[in-house]
Amino acid sequence: MPNLSRPHLSRRGLLATLAASPVAMALLTEAARAADLAASGLVGELQGPTMITDPAKWPTKFQEAPMLAERVKAGKLPPVAERIPAEPMVWQPLNETGKYGGTWRRAFTGPGDVENANRINASDKCFFWSADGSKIVPCVAKAYELSDDGKTYTMHLRKGMKWSDGSPFTADDFVFWFEDIYGNKEIVPTPTTDMSPQGKPGRIVKVDEVTVRFEFDVPYYLFEEMMAGDTLIGGGQSVRQSQKLSFGAYSPGHYLKQFLPKYSSLEEVNARAKKEGFENWLQMLHFKKDWSLNTELPTLGPWKTVQSINNPIWLLERNPFYYAIDTAGNQLPYMDKVQLTLGENLEVINLRAMAGDYDEQERHIDISKLPVLLDNQDKGNYKVHLDLGFAGSDFILQINQSYKADPEIRKWLTNADFRRALSLGIDRDQLNDTFWLGVGTPGSPVPGESMPQNPGPEWRKKWSVLDVRQANAMLDKIGLAKKDSAGFRVRTDNGERLRIQIVAIQAFMPFPKMSEMVGDQWQKIGIQADVREMERNLATTRVRNNETHIYTWNNGGTELLYLFPRHAIPVDPTEAYMGPEYANYYASGGTQGMKPDDPNILRIWELFTEAAGLKAEGRNHNAQEIWKILADQQYGIGTVGQSPAGLGVRLVSNKLGNIASRVCNAQHCRTPGNSHAETWYFKA
Amino acid sequence: MSATTAENKVAVASQRQLIWWRFRKHKLALVSAFIVAAFYLVAMFADTIAYTEPFDTQSARSYIPPQPITWFDADGHFHPTVNALKGKRDPRTFKLSYAPDPGETRDLVLFGHGYEYRLFGLIPTDIHLLGVSNSRPQDALFLLGTDQLGRDVFSRLVLASRTSLTIGLVGVVMSLVLGVLLGGISGLYGGWIDVVIQRVIEILRSIPTIPLWMGLAAAVPNSWTPQQVYFVITLIISLIGWTELARVVRGRFLALREEDFITAAELAGASQMRIIFKHMVPSFLSHIIAAVSLALPAMIISETTLSFLGLGLRPPAISWGVLLQDAQNLQTLALAPWLLVVALPVIVVILAFNFLGDGLRDAADPYG
Amino acid sequence: MLAYLVRRVGLAVITIWAITIVTFIILQLPPGDFVDAYVAQASAMGTAISAGEAAALRHAYGLDQSVWVQYYKWMAHIVHGEFGQSFEYGRPVTEVIGDRLWLTILLSIGAIIVTWGLALPIGIYSAVRQYSIGDYIFTFIGFVGLAVPNFLLALIIMYVGLRVFNVSVGGLFSSEFQLAPWSWAKVWDLAGHLPVPMLILALAGTAQLVRIMRANLLDELRRPYVVTARARGLSERRVIMKYPVRAALNPFASTIGYLLPYTVSGSVIISVVLSLPTVGPLLLHSLISQDMLLGSTIILMLGVLTVFGTLLSDLLLMWIDPRIRLGQLK
Repeated sequence: MPNLSRPHLSRRGLLATLAASPVAMALLTEAARAADLAASGLVGELQGPTMITDPAKWPTKFQEAPMLAERVKAGKLPPVAERIPAEPMVWQPLNETGKYGGTWRRAFTGPGDVENANRINASDKCFFWSADGSKIVPCVAKAYELSDDGKTYTMHLRKGMKWSDGSPFTADDFVFWFEDIYGNKEIVPTPTTDMSPQGKPGRIVKVDEVTVRFEFDVPYYLFEEMMAGDTLIGGGQSVRQSQKLSFGAYSPGHYLKQFLPKYSSLEEVNARAKKEGFENWLQMLHFKKDWSLNTELPTLGPWKTVQSINNPIWLLERNPFYYAIDTAGNQLPYMDKVQLTLGENLEVINLRAMAGDYDEQERHIDISKLPVLLDNQDKGNYKVHLDLGFAGSDFILQINQSYKADPEIRKWLTNADFRRALSLGIDRDQLNDTFWLGVGTPGSPVPGESMPQNPGPEWRKKWSVLDVRQANAMLDKIGLAKKDSAGFRVRTDNGERLRIQIVAIQAFMPFPKMSEMVGDQWQKIGIQADVREMERNLATTRVRNNETHIYTWNNGGTELLYLFPRHAIPVDPTEAYMGPEYANYYASGGTQGMKPDDPNILRIWELFTEAAGLKAEGRNHNAQEIWKILADQQYGIGTVGQSPAGLGVRLVSNKLGNIASRVCNAQHCRTPGNSHAETWYFKA
Repeated sequence: MSATTAENKVAVASQRQLIWWRFRKHKLALVSAFIVAAFYLVAMFADTIAYTEPFDTQSARSYIPPQPITWFDADGHFHPTVNALKGKRDPRTFKLSYAPDPGETRDLVLFGHGYEYRLFGLIPTDIHLLGVSNSRPQDALFLLGTDQLGRDVFSRLVLASRTSLTIGLVGVVMSLVLGVLLGGISGLYGGWIDVVIQRVIEILRSIPTIPLWMGLAAAVPNSWTPQQVYFVITLIISLIGWTELARVVRGRFLALREEDFITAAELAGASQMRIIFKHMVPSFLSHIIAAVSLALPAMIISETTLSFLGLGLRPPAISWGVLLQDAQNLQTLALAPWLLVVALPVIVVILAFNFLGDGLRDAADPYG
Repeated sequence: MLAYLVRRVGLAVITIWAITIVTFIILQLPPGDFVDAYVAQASAMGTAISAGEAAALRHAYGLDQSVWVQYYKWMAHIVHGEFGQSFEYGRPVTEVIGDRLWLTILLSIGAIIVTWGLALPIGIYSAVRQYSIGDYIFTFIGFVGLAVPNFLLALIIMYVGLRVFNVSVGGLFSSEFQLAPWSWAKVWDLAGHLPVPMLILALAGTAQLVRIMRANLLDELRRPYVVTARARGLSERRVIMKYPVRAALNPFASTIGYLLPYTVSGSVIISVVLSLPTVGPLLLHSLISQDMLLGSTIILMLGVLTVFGTLLSDLLLMWIDPRIRLGQLK
């Protein structure tokens, strides 16, 4: 066999002769991998600009971009001092004060890729996370208090803050959203759980121009995290009011009122819709409140759309009323424009990236092309950074617990030892070497050890280390000892081969190929896996119809369980790969779907529901308990995670300054959102 | 043999003999016939000729370049060997590189032992045409290199030929039969039959193929095996393929109907079928042969498009199209260009089919 | 002749109507609807759309109505000369398609001209000089062109362009003209970008046409009238060009109508790779996102072009091959 003569492998060979346990071997491999990764020089330290919150240190004189100075001179804009809020967000850039100008070139994949720029515009969230992703920090709002009973959340806005059209941004914009958008049953038929802890709807109340109060009937300590997280309530205007969504806590009332029947009449708004080429007022509203489509929409982020996403180039330009400045008093952002160029195919985007066609790009960059991208660093004048993620598994096999079409298959999918055996039958080092080029961390789906909800290092290895012997023994024991002539285990009802189907779609990583490798590995434990590659709609329809055995996806976002639970536990019917009928049951409060007969799932639900009313410490404790159950029960089989595979292979032009050597790669950090692109600049 | 006896022989030879003589003279066609036969032999004995299980993955074998064979030993004796390979991933460039380990050579042997299979689906054996001494072939032998998952390209190619040369051909034949039959009927009878068939063709042709595939693929039941899915997809591709041929055949029929020899045959009381197959079809045989030799590559290429739509075929249904699809990415072009070798058998087999067709057509008209 | 034309146009209208129905049915075949696709896409991007919201969207876009009501509404739009709303883009379909249709036709016609310009002479040469070295070389190149998928070919060209020549291949406009209104400079820019995609598009088609031309001409050359013509001492050039070539063109004429949808179908993937603003990628995208009205409108437009193309090809057939008389084309 061609030896991969890497130190850990030879050491591993040595240990094998000493009959070391699989777990000890895996730990050794891991240490060697960490050393290799450090040697690559591609993984830096988590860093970012520093927020200055002490008003005494704020600058008192302001400068602006030359392109805006011209407009001020022409009388089209008020002077910069009038545009910046009395209480701005003040950044000390990572390295130095930047220079104005330049266009940030980037790639996007079409009108479905709104998230691409939503994320670079993520400073329109009320609260955000620090550069390392560990602490909640101010953003649009400057501060909050949570009452002792956890029922009242008071938020303080910045005095003198303005929308991108110069109108004042006040508490009224929150009330407008709450009453006229969220409160309109035609726009939002069902309230979000984000605003209704334990099913009891909360309220938004204006205290004064710059103070907003959220009131709840039950303790809702989790709400502080919800407001900072990438949630329906806390995500911000860009992401929550584009793509026909209608959430996000605030809306530009002064602009949107003209499109609502309430402020004129149904006939009037419908007539206007017809005139502008829409079928009805609701369709018109969905267009008008979408920042990626409507160039007139007032926004709060650093850039706003000047050429809509429906074009080969989606062009953004600086928001002249953006509320952040640097410590020298320069209004941010430094870069004038963001130009996103359409690339409908990932190969093409990666090829262009390799040629240096993009100034900064982490989205749509494929980790399997890393050697090629590294090869071309000099030629393309860029540098590659690897931003490791925190989620446990970039490729997870979610086992459908509510499957019922075939009782025999159900019997095994819901058998914990069967699932554990499948997990023990996966050679994660193989997957890691082949698809992650060795940079990932193999193991169970639990979040990274640095995360507050990690249950402890021993759970990384729980049932998640290759052990073919034990897997075979377990399968024999549970009643699958009989095999056919080709060595595959057979069904207990009709003696035919037991075929487990893995549905895989081409998404963040080559899931179909990865499933193929897993299928090959399962041969050694006598399990026949049929990999089915499908078109995405077809696959999600099959999931919703409860037809899948195993579905492959990642579990990104679950590192903060309460903010993004759906890839870890069956609570959200939109994506409930580990049990769509169970998720329906949970979400409908028991009126729809199937009640689980597995006490472990009921226990998970109990812990999860209880957590919303607990303070941080208690919440994290509950999350750890949930992870312990998940790792022990293996509803989702983790493979390799905490890697740069999703949004973590970052190409940055050498021309750009104030770039972090590592950015927080996580759902709640809105990568690259919380590294605050408004502080990046072109050096020459 | 003197000239006169040869002439006499020609004069008395049967039609079949004449065709064979004529065909034999067509050297390239003869060679092509052997090549086609060889490909089918390979397909029949695919498991024997492959030396590695085509689905056997191993990260330590990822992207091995084609491996050279040393044919003679130091003393100049014929003694084919391959060097064992040592692989390494550079921690800075993340590239895998393989160097031969000069200390470790493996002898190439004929009829060595490898993975177990059933010859013709019946006889269990583990004998393979090629093997290596003192090692498992999947760890030592990489004649055409390996792919990303460390699977042997040669073995995969060989096994894929089985699918592409059988099921793939079924589709081609189907669209041929449909095309000639419906085109012929349309051209011969004219009238409302012609109008209906022409409209159906028009509708089918004017709808781009992609929505048709997507719609039909979605209708494939969840429980089908990959081979069944593959077969159905082939049928779908061929169902669209027949229309072009039908249009051409109809055009030819319209023109031929007026020809004197057809009228003569009609007057002589020949049946419709006889007229079609004996007199009309041969007069545009070249076109049909060209159409068939074009349909085969089209079928294989269509598979690569399917993958693009997320309807890709997965093992054990590997075919040339699937392998070709695997090679369509940046890392292959930059790091593993040998994966493009997959296009080679496709080209060879198409050329062979084409020349064989040429030879057959020439031979079918021995007096021409 | 006039009566024949009227009849054919009438038939064409019926065919187009049939196409609208077939299109609608085919687009309904995949499970789910636009909102399902939308929810799936949003969740792949990390955004959640609740079930209630999905229902509201379905209502706002009329997707909760029966297929036939949706079809009727679409037809009502068409009668008024518009095509309804694209769900995904939130704009009228005609606005979304915009210049793309014309660019597609331009690119396709360009590719067709290149194909014919190359294929006919090579085909004639290959037939007349059958089994010559030249014939073999063209045959070989042709089949290589056929056996390499367009996607791979386009990718290789882009890669080689970048690595070897340091030029970025792709797109139909330079970035400065991308957003600019039409001008002579923009037209000139377009002209500069057309050849590469045109050639890639033409390549596979050329190989195919060469083979068919060669085969047909061979069939013709074997016929008694050619022998007679030769025996009468006509120049070889006249012998070949006068009748056999014309007759061999017959199959081309009978498929000329399909060239447009054929090239468009074939150009989808090339357009995606080379980022060409044609209707191909739009069609692909509308199918994946189940954007019904956008998808069916594009298909309908191609259908209309095909149907009239076929009509044209039948007329051409009559002109090329005098043996076909009006009476037979009833």
